Amino acid sequence: MAVDIRNVAKKRDQRYSYGLTLLRDCIEKDRELPREEDIFHKTILKVEDIRISFGGLTALIDVSIELKEGELLAIIGPNGAGKTTLLNVISGFYRAQQGDIYYQDQKITHYSSHKIAAMGICRTFQNIALYTGLSVIDNIIAGRHPHIKYNFLNGMLYFPWARREEARQRAIAEDIVDFLEMEQVRNTTVGMLPYGLRKRAELGRALALEPRILLLDEPMAGMNLDEKEDIARFIIDIHEFLRIPIVMIEHDMGVVMDIADRIVVLDFGVKIGDGTPEEISKNPKVVSAYLGSTGE
Amino acid sequence: MAINVDRPCGTFDRNYYQAMEIFRTPLRKFLMIAFIVAMYALAFVVDDYIISILIVFCAFSVGMTGLQIITGYAGQISLGHAAFMGVGMYTMAILQEHLGFNFWMALPLAGISPMVIGMIFGIPAVRIKGLYLAFASLAAHFVIVYTINNWRSVTNGTDGMYLHRPEILLGIDFMIDKYYYILVFTVTILMIYFAKNLTRTKLGRSFVAVRDNDIAAEVMGINIAATKILAFGIGCFYAGIAGALGGGYYEYVNVEWFTLTDSIWYLGFLVVGGLGSIFGAIAGAVVWKTLDELSTLMTPLTEALLGGMAFYASAAFSLVIYSLIVIAVLVLEPRGINHRWQIIKRAYRLHPFPY
Amino acid sequence: MEQLLRSVMLGLASGGIYALVAVSYVIIYKATRIFAFSQAGMLVIGSYIMWQSLIVWSLPVWLSIVISLAVGAAIALIIERACMRPLIGQPILAPIVVTLGVMLFFRGIALLFWHGEVRGYGESFLPLGSWNIGFLNLPKIQVYGFIICMIVIAVLISFYKYTRTGLGMRVVHEDHLVAQNLGINVKRIFKYSWVFSCSVAVIGGMLLGNIQGVGVDLDYNGLVAIAAVLFGGLESFGGAVIAGLLIGIVQIFAIQYLGALLPGEITLLVPFVFLLLILLIKPYGLFGLVRIERL
Repeated sequence: MAVDIRNVAKKRDQRYSYGLTLLRDCIEKDRELPREEDIFHKTILKVEDIRISFGGLTALIDVSIELKEGELLAIIGPNGAGKTTLLNVISGFYRAQQGDIYYQDQKITHYSSHKIAAMGICRTFQNIALYTGLSVIDNIIAGRHPHIKYNFLNGMLYFPWARREEARQRAIAEDIVDFLEMEQVRNTTVGMLPYGLRKRAELGRALALEPRILLLDEPMAGMNLDEKEDIARFIIDIHEFLRIPIVMIEHDMGVVMDIADRIVVLDFGVKIGDGTPEEISKNPKVVSAYLGSTGE
Repeated sequence: MAINVDRPCGTFDRNYYQAMEIFRTPLRKFLMIAFIVAMYALAFVVDDYIISILIVFCAFSVGMTGLQIITGYAGQISLGHAAFMGVGMYTMAILQEHLGFNFWMALPLAGISPMVIGMIFGIPAVRIKGLYLAFASLAAHFVIVYTINNWRSVTNGTDGMYLHRPEILLGIDFMIDKYYYILVFTVTILMIYFAKNLTRTKLGRSFVAVRDNDIAAEVMGINIAATKILAFGIGCFYAGIAGALGGGYYEYVNVEWFTLTDSIWYLGFLVVGGLGSIFGAIAGAVVWKTLDELSTLMTPLTEALLGGMAFYASAAFSLVIYSLIVIAVLVLEPRGINHRWQIIKRAYRLHPFPY
Repeated sequence: MEQLLRSVMLGLASGGIYALVAVSYVIIYKATRIFAFSQAGMLVIGSYIMWQSLIVWSLPVWLSIVISLAVGAAIALIIERACMRPLIGQPILAPIVVTLGVMLFFRGIALLFWHGEVRGYGESFLPLGSWNIGFLNLPKIQVYGFIICMIVIAVLISFYKYTRTGLGMRVVHEDHLVAQNLGINVKRIFKYSWVFSCSVAVIGGMLLGNIQGVGVDLDYNGLVAIAAVLFGGLESFGGAVIAGLLIGIVQIFAIQYLGALLPGEITLLVPFVFLLLILLIKPYGLFGLVRIERL
């Protein structure tokens, strides 16, 4: 990418976008944010020797990944390498035949996906999976579901504290909408939005879940340079403002090399590379499988 | 489109509480209050025949709202809704007859018992996506009808049971139809208000999320099995209350009133009214029961036309005509009366522009 | 022992018809992913039309069969064109409610024109009486019925497997869009599916008219066949056949051995309790396809 966005956003108080103040307050209250010395050192998510197969096709073969606090991990690889499958296994949607997943040193291998989402591992989807009948703001408020603290009887009888809670959730959702610069379309049904805005709404819904780890599945697929820079800006803002680790599946090598702290390379279900962008760009296996060389 | 055509021009929200209101403008609030007052006042003006029709409208509106929660909001198909209404009626009869409960104590239990039974029948079906709740509710219908028919000690089998209206309370004698109508209407208004609240709070949103994309909902923190069962349960609660109210009017209940055909009409006229809105549910219930009244009124006419065949004719006519109406509405306007009404309102508001 | 065998034979005979109706459901589900409750109503219409041509108009048997099948095919085309085609692309509730409406419409028509009385065909269609093979007393109607069911099902399955149109129908089941891109006329496949399904249902109706008498309540058999379809798997012919036979046997056994314990008529209760058990234990059925969801 032409512009190195990180330098521009370095100064915290010279932010050129809205911050996620309300959301960060919620996260600080509900979850423990990492201390300064843990960043890049403490492992928050450990995936150990995952093996999963569908019928005769083995999608992941003994894949192990460690995600440290506060880092932006990119997963790259050719199509069919199992990147989305890995994300599905982490978020509990697929059940691996072998292997374990540890989140903050707690084994979450066979937890159901709604529990994992409530614990703070939130994701977006490659083919957008929004609630098509709802508007953008309703989608984001729907994403707040595990954190809304009244039960359904209170809701049906619409007690005053339920009403206040609803307004508070709306405020948090509006905070996210402001951050993502979607104010104009907040009341539009998502089915009518163009692709780029839908991807943004999807990101907003993942944010609404108060993520402690954010898993993004091809957030920049199908976008032109402008939109990619926008999304990259959002990702970096989230990364710096909420101080949470982000796992990103991405095909655009320019973006990956620019903003990722570490890169994991998958090929046909096997991990063939793991390291900083400089190391990966020189790794011969990765170069031959995916990156390609300039000749010779 | 950024223009919101569902509100009059110039209505903006200054805080979030305003955005969540059901009736946003003073005119709508006034119309709603006027409507409610008029419906109460009607009780003292019209004769008993119209009151009986109004009570039937109210009871079936409540039942249809329950089915709207199951089908329109949570996207599950229930083919046993009439049977659960019957469970509600029978529960009230059993509680009053065998256990001596009075009407007020029996009414919530008449809602809770079909809720529990429905949730039990729903458990096998919620793990799998697709039509399976339809089949489970179909099975529930047959099991419930069999149980009612054959558990003679409790339900009197095919002879039916008697219910009682509430005792005289604060000088109001509920044996007079118009006071019973006021009771029924009050309960109906409350139940519909609760349903509307459901749609704008956490559980209602999770229903719509499960309907629209249930796998994504699971990964976004919503427990879809629990949500589906809860949707089915709440819908059956409404069916039970509807049954209890209607049964209290007739003061008699018989299992023959709850056939599979009635469950199918519930579903059919719900779709005619429009899925996904409380107004659609009420519209569907009103259309259905109006057609019922019309066919009853036309019975002497059909008898005159067909002579001895009249016994089959009325059942046959209702089957043929209702099914044709349901099919025609579905083919021509699949989103039902509610959608047409929204289009009419929109056309009026945007006149002379087309959109 | 002989009681056991007799029950099995009776169960197989009624199970054959459940298998036929189950197959008619599966045909439409395979092509259009819609569960067509209206086929239960076709049983009623089929039996009444057969009765009308056989008894009322006293036509020879072969002509009555031809007329019934022709009327069944015509009704299939009308349903497909008027009710199902406009609903392509609508959410799944719309076609289901329409098929339920069609089922009730058939019931209403049967009530209207033939006054809902229960009659039989007498000797005209299939011979009455029974054969005695050793200790087995096999009613001829049941045996002929079973044989006819199996022949029809065998013809259908071989059609699906060995002909080009059958292959096209299997492709349409997987994906309509892909089938169109491959040059398969999807609308024609829909028409064929509906015609086959209704013909099968009409044959089932004819046989049922023999065994249970011609009446409006024949569509309950169609509802029992739903349990068979779920048991066998919604997309599998073989499963539907096996499940239909099994449900017939289970029903007869339950009536024999549990009928003393439970009061009242348990003929309709048993298949539906069985349905609930299937949903609990093996929801996709014996041979159904488990869909892998992709996110």
